[in-house]
Amino acid sequence: MVKTMIKKISLIIILAIFLIIFIILQNDLLLNQSDLSRLYFLQNTLNETSSENIVTGIYLDYRLFDSIFEASTLLIAVSGIIFITRNYEYTTDTFFIFDKHKASNILTHLSSILFPFLLVFGLYIITHGHLTPGGGFQGGAILATAVLTTYYINPGRAINTKYLVLIEKILFIALILISSISLITRNTFFTNFIPIDKNNSHRTLFLITLNLFIGLKVSFGLINIFTSFLREESKL
Amino acid sequence: MEILGSFLQILLIIIVISIVLMKNNIKVIILLSSFSLITASLYFFNKAPDVALAEVAIGSAIMPLLYILAISKQREFIVLCYTNKECLQEEIIDLLTKFSDFYKLKLKYIHKTNHNDNNDIINNGNIDLILKKNEKDNYFFICRESSTLMNKLQQLTMDLPNVNVVKVENGEDYD
Repeated sequence: MVKTMIKKISLIIILAIFLIIFIILQNDLLLNQSDLSRLYFLQNTLNETSSENIVTGIYLDYRLFDSIFEASTLLIAVSGIIFITRNYEYTTDTFFIFDKHKASNILTHLSSILFPFLLVFGLYIITHGHLTPGGGFQGGAILATAVLTTYYINPGRAINTKYLVLIEKILFIALILISSISLITRNTFFTNFIPIDKNNSHRTLFLITLNLFIGLKVSFGLINIFTSFLREESKL
Repeated sequence: MEILGSFLQILLIIIVISIVLMKNNIKVIILLSSFSLITASLYFFNKAPDVALAEVAIGSAIMPLLYILAISKQREFIVLCYTNKECLQEEIIDLLTKFSDFYKLKLKYIHKTNHNDNNDIINNGNIDLILKKNEKDNYFFICRESSTLMNKLQQLTMDLPNVNVVKVENGEDYD
């Protein structure tokens, strides 16, 4: 009893210290705010990156190098999960999880109605990433959820993870190649490969292709994670 | 708008505390997804719709699915018996096989005879059920309160008078 009391009291003290630090830091941040970067991005993003959504302009043009590594983290995570989960034998017993006892009829029918709309919504978010909020990652996650709902519709489905990983790797390599074309055309790494004096609507082609590649890569990765979790055999 | 934001933040704190205190796994997953839904709306109100979209897709759709999958992957149902193999009545074995067939679990018996070193074995190991028998042929099913499967077991044992289901809270010893 005494031990647990000491634990609880020390936890509360630590949390209180964190709260005080947070409040002090918030006041400091309000004092030292500067508008320089905000004003710069507001003025120049449309001209320099041809993207109306400033967030997309930053992560697909100014900071493209960072987003490539961000894409690679997901690939590494997927390959790690596939390495750890033992799915050598392709067992397709997803019936166990999406059981008739557990999944009701309402859920299965609703998901079969929702499936095409989810696909269209995900593709819309991916392809309009430079105009509206969203982009490759968000749209890819929505596409992945759309594909995952098909497990409710037809539990006996089998997805071969081997080819999915292969496609994801090819997409990642294509991402790097597309983003380094600019070395030839504009003599700098990791920016838009279409020269800056071209029409804005032509230059968005680069953003759309990159968003599409990132979206497909993310959705394949998430489907991979899910299916390898599903097939994981517990051998005790 | 500010009132709504502070209301959502207070709701977040309440949800987090209830996640920590909750013992039922499925309810925890529902609370986690509602947590990420509320954080997504907070992101939206603070003018970050891109982050809100990512939070909605990952936090409230894919993550709960993965958690539910991980919970339903539990296939083995391990029963620890403090009796000899011969002493078990047939109807008890029938009951347990019926129960495990319903959830498509693999039933596994572990037989033990000494009563001494077993106080909190249900909390430490991955044993799901302890079966005890006293002198008057009364059976005791001792199980965790947090396990959701036990409601079904309780339902099955309703019409058997000599079977008692005892639910033990997590972290509590049973003598």
